[in-house]
Amino acid sequence: MRSRLRSLIRSMPLRLALGLVAVFAMVSLLSFGASYVVTQRSMEQQMREDLVQDIAGFRAAPSAAAVATLVRAEAESTDPERMVLSYFAPNGRHFGNAAIARDNEGYHVVSVAQNGKTVEGRYLALTTGLYGGQLTIARSRSEIEALRRVFLNILVISLVPTFLIALSGAVYIASRSAGHVDRVGRTLDRLTTGNLGARVQPERGWSDDLAQIGAKIDQMAEAQEASVASLRQVSSDIAHDLKTPIQRVAVHLDELSRNPSLDGEARDLVDRATDELDRIVAVFHALLQIAQIEAGTPRSQFAPVDLAALIETCVELYEPMAGETGHQLVAVPREGPVAMVEGERNLLLQLLANLVENALRHTPDGTRIAIALRQEGGRVVLDVADDGPGIPEEERDKVLRRLYRLDRSRGTPGSGLGLNFVSVVARLHEARLVLGDAAPGLRVSLVFPAGATRDKPAETAEAR
Amino acid sequence: MKLLVVEDDETTGNYIARGLREEGQSVDLVADGREGLIQATTGNYDVMIVDRMLPEIDGMTLVKTLRGAGNRTPVLFLTSLGSVDDRIDGLNAGGDDYLVKPFAFGELSARVAALSRRPQAMERESVLRAGDLEMDLIARRVTRAGQTLDLLPREFSILEHLLRRKGRVQTRTMLLEAIWDISFDPGTNVVETHISRLRAKVDRPFDTELIKTVRGAGYRIDA
Repeated sequence: MRSRLRSLIRSMPLRLALGLVAVFAMVSLLSFGASYVVTQRSMEQQMREDLVQDIAGFRAAPSAAAVATLVRAEAESTDPERMVLSYFAPNGRHFGNAAIARDNEGYHVVSVAQNGKTVEGRYLALTTGLYGGQLTIARSRSEIEALRRVFLNILVISLVPTFLIALSGAVYIASRSAGHVDRVGRTLDRLTTGNLGARVQPERGWSDDLAQIGAKIDQMAEAQEASVASLRQVSSDIAHDLKTPIQRVAVHLDELSRNPSLDGEARDLVDRATDELDRIVAVFHALLQIAQIEAGTPRSQFAPVDLAALIETCVELYEPMAGETGHQLVAVPREGPVAMVEGERNLLLQLLANLVENALRHTPDGTRIAIALRQEGGRVVLDVADDGPGIPEEERDKVLRRLYRLDRSRGTPGSGLGLNFVSVVARLHEARLVLGDAAPGLRVSLVFPAGATRDKPAETAEAR
Repeated sequence: MKLLVVEDDETTGNYIARGLREEGQSVDLVADGREGLIQATTGNYDVMIVDRMLPEIDGMTLVKTLRGAGNRTPVLFLTSLGSVDDRIDGLNAGGDDYLVKPFAFGELSARVAALSRRPQAMERESVLRAGDLEMDLIARRVTRAGQTLDLLPREFSILEHLLRRKGRVQTRTMLLEAIWDISFDPGTNVVETHISRLRAKVDRPFDTELIKTVRGAGYRIDA
């Protein structure tokens, strides 16, 4: 959930949408701010002009007494909260609805008192000398201040919903396209892990670019599937074409061996030919199997495999054989939860069998072979270690190659395909194959991918 | 037993038919899928042996068609490939068992015998007997001539498997499949070593040999 949220936030459409919302918001705020400033300025200008007009009205009076009368009359009907009228007559008397105290800072601060009450507020004032007295008219700026509130209200009412709509639209589109991207990703995952039938299948309503990419991927997958299918067909044709004569030779050899007129030497030859044929078949089978796994044996056969039970089966299977050659084959008990990995049981068991047979074949009598299961940084690791002669470090990569054999192993039976099979099966399971030093001896480790493990279901049992 | 062999390779087909006839079976041999389908639907067979790659109609289609028509005759597929996929495809198509070429005749014969008796209900006996050997399935105890044999669990399973199929050969690969659920051939003599351990306990201390080796095929406990 968390990672999904993170990928959503990082997704292109959401980023684009958020960017657009931000730009849009900025432009709106700027134009809003600009029109506010313009309106406010013009209102202030208007107020100034009004004040000049007011003053001019009083200036029209013929004398100081007339001005005083006018001021008094006007002040009667004027709320000082809206407009302040104040006239200091030449004789020092004050007329008006409020007194204006003037300090060093000029007309900014206008304090009005009437009946001992102080009126707070911001005013715009104009003062002029008139007939030896001083006339001051101040208009309240409350209208301009109200304008700011109006603008803020408009901002909230119009802009916020727009933002919200744009934002949720962006999230919706982003999550939708994130879903599409996810589908493309999952299809690619399945394709790379051998499920060549996987397709993106972009639907109507996908964005054009994603739909195009999806269609191209499908095209590619189709081509790959076709080529793998033809490769399989070729290998199955080759198998059939070779198997038929091999089968016939086997039949003839069997018939020959049943011939009672064969003497000892001839019978010996037939037996040797039969053995050689068995070897041919074994190598052929191994090659065919490796080729088929490499061609992408569908991972759809994968199911949870209990590795501990697999080890148990393998040890139990080979223990008598190991005993005959004086080898010691043991499963190292493991602490912690039982490891289940996604895989193909028979291939994994065959892998394990190959490793054990390798160890039995290439180590002297008395060697101890231990199969262990451990956890390493959240990954399950399967080790097959012996205390035999080991493999020199520079040879370790080479032994994984097809048909490669160490010089000292040339005399021992084996096809040279065992470890190659192991590495191919490991790759199919996305496991890393590491040949290491068991000091002394060889340790083959199979490191399963972190996501491959599962908790063991309650009633899975491998042993019979 | 009446058997049908559908195999396009003449040498192999004749070899199978001859071998099975020598065992006293009645065998019909046809060389292509169409013939095979006609024979299979008209004749009443106990087991069919069908090559997967056939001219006209391939083996898979043949068996699928038969199964679709409600024919439940056990089918043993013969195949050149033998991969996991191939095996699963064959079994999904309605095949009952699977044999990879080239095969020893003993293997084929043993598997045909196993298939022909497949529908047997698992007898709910609690004691299995062969000669002077007795296996108590409930107490999981084995005695021979009154002597208790100390068997490991897997040795017990192998012995039980052979006892339940008295008189029939069990090949190495059949044992691997049945006892260890292994569908590949480990290639070495792992089964032999298990059998020889079992014999050391079951046969060696006694006069008569109970577990017989059938040359070129496998093992059997006589009925």
